[in-house]
Amino acid sequence: MVQFILRRLFLLIFVAVGILILTFAMTRAIPGDPCTAMLGEKATPQTCKLFLERFGLNDNIVVQFVKYAGNLLQGNLGTSIKDSRDVTDILAERLPMTFELTVFSMAFASVFGVALGVISAVKRNSAADVGAMIFANLGVSMPIFWLGLLLAYIFALTLRGTPFQLPPSARITAGTDLPSLLKVWGMEDAAGLKRFIVLMLSNSVLFSSLVQGKLDVFVDTLRHLILPAITVGTIPMAIIARMTRGAMLDALTQDYIRVARAKGLAEFTVIMKHAFRNALVPIITVIGLQFGGLLSGAVLTETTFSLPGIGTKLVDAIFSRDYPVVQAFVVVIAFVFVLVNLFVDLSYAYLNPRIRAQ
Amino acid sequence: MNRSKLFSAVSLAAASAMLLAACGAATPAPTAVPPTVAPAATAVPATAAPKPTDVPKPTVAPTAAPAAFVGDKLAAPDCNYGGSMKAIEAVDATTVKFTLCAPDPAFPQKITGSSFNILSKDDIAKTGGDAKKIGENPVGTGPYILKEWKHGDSLTFTANPNWWGGAVANKQLVIRWSKEAAQALLELQSGNADNITKVATEDFDTVAKDKNLKLIPVEGLNIFYVGFNVNTPPFDNEMVRQAFAMAIDRAKIVKDYYPEGSTVANGFIPPSFKPGPSPDIKWYDYNADKAKQMLVDAKFDFNQEIPLSYRQVVRVYLPSVDKVAQEIQAQFKKIGVKIKLTPKESGTFIKSSTEGKEPFHLLGWGADYPDATNFIDYHFGAEHKQFGKAFPDILEQIKVGATNSDVAVRQAAYDKINTMLKQHVPVIPVANGYSAQAFRADVTNPIANPVSSTDFWMIKGAKDTFVSVQSGEPISLDCADETDGETFQACDQIFEKLLGFKPGTVELKPLLATAYKANADASEWTFTLRPNVKFSNGAAFTANDVVASFARQWDASNPAHKGDTATFDYWASYFGGFLNAKK
Repeated sequence: MVQFILRRLFLLIFVAVGILILTFAMTRAIPGDPCTAMLGEKATPQTCKLFLERFGLNDNIVVQFVKYAGNLLQGNLGTSIKDSRDVTDILAERLPMTFELTVFSMAFASVFGVALGVISAVKRNSAADVGAMIFANLGVSMPIFWLGLLLAYIFALTLRGTPFQLPPSARITAGTDLPSLLKVWGMEDAAGLKRFIVLMLSNSVLFSSLVQGKLDVFVDTLRHLILPAITVGTIPMAIIARMTRGAMLDALTQDYIRVARAKGLAEFTVIMKHAFRNALVPIITVIGLQFGGLLSGAVLTETTFSLPGIGTKLVDAIFSRDYPVVQAFVVVIAFVFVLVNLFVDLSYAYLNPRIRAQ
Repeated sequence: MNRSKLFSAVSLAAASAMLLAACGAATPAPTAVPPTVAPAATAVPATAAPKPTDVPKPTVAPTAAPAAFVGDKLAAPDCNYGGSMKAIEAVDATTVKFTLCAPDPAFPQKITGSSFNILSKDDIAKTGGDAKKIGENPVGTGPYILKEWKHGDSLTFTANPNWWGGAVANKQLVIRWSKEAAQALLELQSGNADNITKVATEDFDTVAKDKNLKLIPVEGLNIFYVGFNVNTPPFDNEMVRQAFAMAIDRAKIVKDYYPEGSTVANGFIPPSFKPGPSPDIKWYDYNADKAKQMLVDAKFDFNQEIPLSYRQVVRVYLPSVDKVAQEIQAQFKKIGVKIKLTPKESGTFIKSSTEGKEPFHLLGWGADYPDATNFIDYHFGAEHKQFGKAFPDILEQIKVGATNSDVAVRQAAYDKINTMLKQHVPVIPVANGYSAQAFRADVTNPIANPVSSTDFWMIKGAKDTFVSVQSGEPISLDCADETDGETFQACDQIFEKLLGFKPGTVELKPLLATAYKANADASEWTFTLRPNVKFSNGAAFTANDVVASFARQWDASNPAHKGDTATFDYWASYFGGFLNAKK
């Protein structure tokens, strides 16, 4: 097992180099002039010349890459051209939002997806099965931005004034007072990794509000997360439901299930302990892939709900040709994706003793 | 110590203090200021430093004299450096004088831009002019101070207790952003926001009919036009261009694809500018038959396919770009002209059109400042290549309009230019597009400004916190080096300019300057500053703050010439080159 992990980690180096080269090349291949994209359509040629010189964008592309890779090796992700801020600070601000949204949406998708899939498989060809699969197919087919706006319309406008009213956007209610943990913990001068970690914790509003004992802010944040989490989680939920149904149907036809029933075990035990556990491997694979995919930025949902996550920032950075931000975000997303896949692979071994033995 | 002894001791101490203070406060000798001084890295004092011999006799002053004001000045050695600014001088604490290399009647309008917000001289020095540092704790004279910037989420402002304008309408102002117009509208409808600064064209009706909302239309200080490169066949033939002008049914385009309030453009200059538009000079009426006949007369080749290039970017001047392009294509088809629609990536299109490489294209322009020079000089000046060769007769009148402070003389020049534009047709002016802001119905005094930021200080929401949703996050809070409206909106809550605009209009109003005057040829502008103004940190506002705010932009060798990208676009655009710039 240790050898397996080490081998995967070693391969990560090559993946990393590949990601860096590809990201760098692709950002430079985006059509359009970075000066006009950044400074607006009224930028004069002289201004553009100054701009490109200042940010080294006039240099040969190889020179630019060597400078970028050199900085990266020193842990320097660079400075945003647009915001003049450290990219690590921007990452620390954006990642927690996306992480919270991903966790909540995956919790929603996994719980409801697995439940729907199991019910559908156990009650095969029944009204419940057909209903669940229609629901799942609808979920896969629905455009995210449309679903988001629809949910926001229903819960913010139609149900306005009822206990079911939910905010249509933002992370917390405007004007809510929640000081940064850097300030609360007196670490405003912190630098490096320490600053990055505290910033991350501080920007996890759920964590920060709990630490500061602000329960009302915590509840407010949760209420703001409900609609985006459902929106993001609907497609994965549908995929998980269909995958669970298939895996369960396969497991339920196996001989060991017949044996378990013949032994006189309770149907619940047969389904959950024997069938479900054996069906888990493909389900976990799907959940893992979906989780990685969501972490890479629920772009549409973040935009629809005006959430300050990595998706919205990445799109903004692409449009404004903010190369350091695009590169850093894509690299981080790619790494997260690779790590999640590694974790999924490892979970197979835990779930299936035969893989562990191999 | 009894009471009388204590009183005597205090009196003695006070008298001594006064004496010492009087000794220390030197009155500067009135030294003549040379017309220009060598450019320095930072603004240099306009008056000489006090000499030791200038110390007055101690017996004269019974009370401590106020520290004498030493005005700063920055001047170019000559006007060959590439820019149009010659000198900026703090004449006294409340007077500042700008000397230009050439007359500029639009100077007051130009400096109403948010790029010319006044910062504290001390803060500029403290932050080194770094936009990021300025934004961490911005020090301005405006109605609000920054409470918190939650990056990616919102900006929160509270009232500036030192604001000269008195109390603001709301205790707290929150500016949030959403790129999706539909989502922003939902925020407003659900009561989570009091205002949205941009209403999508398709939502005008929805807002207008909602009794909980108020739609405030904003006049279109812009122009959407069809442009030609007059050097490129078939558009090198004036008659072809005139025929094309008659072939476009502009009224139909405005009626079908623009929001209510938008108008058919009668010329290139927006209607409310003074001087500028010529209401008596009518643009060509739509006449397809005559257009076709003119093309036949001009031996136009009806078999050729003419590319019409544009970018798929929504702007107030062109809210439905694809539909308008298709409409124009359909209108030309009626007279047998084949048009091929050629959408292009925005940056690429702007670059190629600016270089004159788009013979037939759709584009527009929004006002940076409300003066005809912003529209005419930029587009039809000698250096602009978008429409091909410049027209000498237009250039001659541009010079008259841009170098004269007499409104009547300027209007006469623009009347001639408008006539010439109709004759030469380098462009077909199509529409002046309206935009709108929307407010909750319970908001008191909702106002939207056509060219400047929203005056949130005078708009009262139903709650203590007023929430406005705009379409993007500000880039920084140092607007000297920024160009986008969302950033300006945030800056303008904290900082002020010398002059602003009366709410809802393009009429100048005093802000940090209470009065201004020009010399005869409009090459020297003197501003009288508002007295007793304080920055949010309590420091007094003086003419040196004005000099420092302009000097950091103008002088490339100034340590504070930093900003965000150090490009200072608006300075470069309005006043040409930078002083001490690297060659």
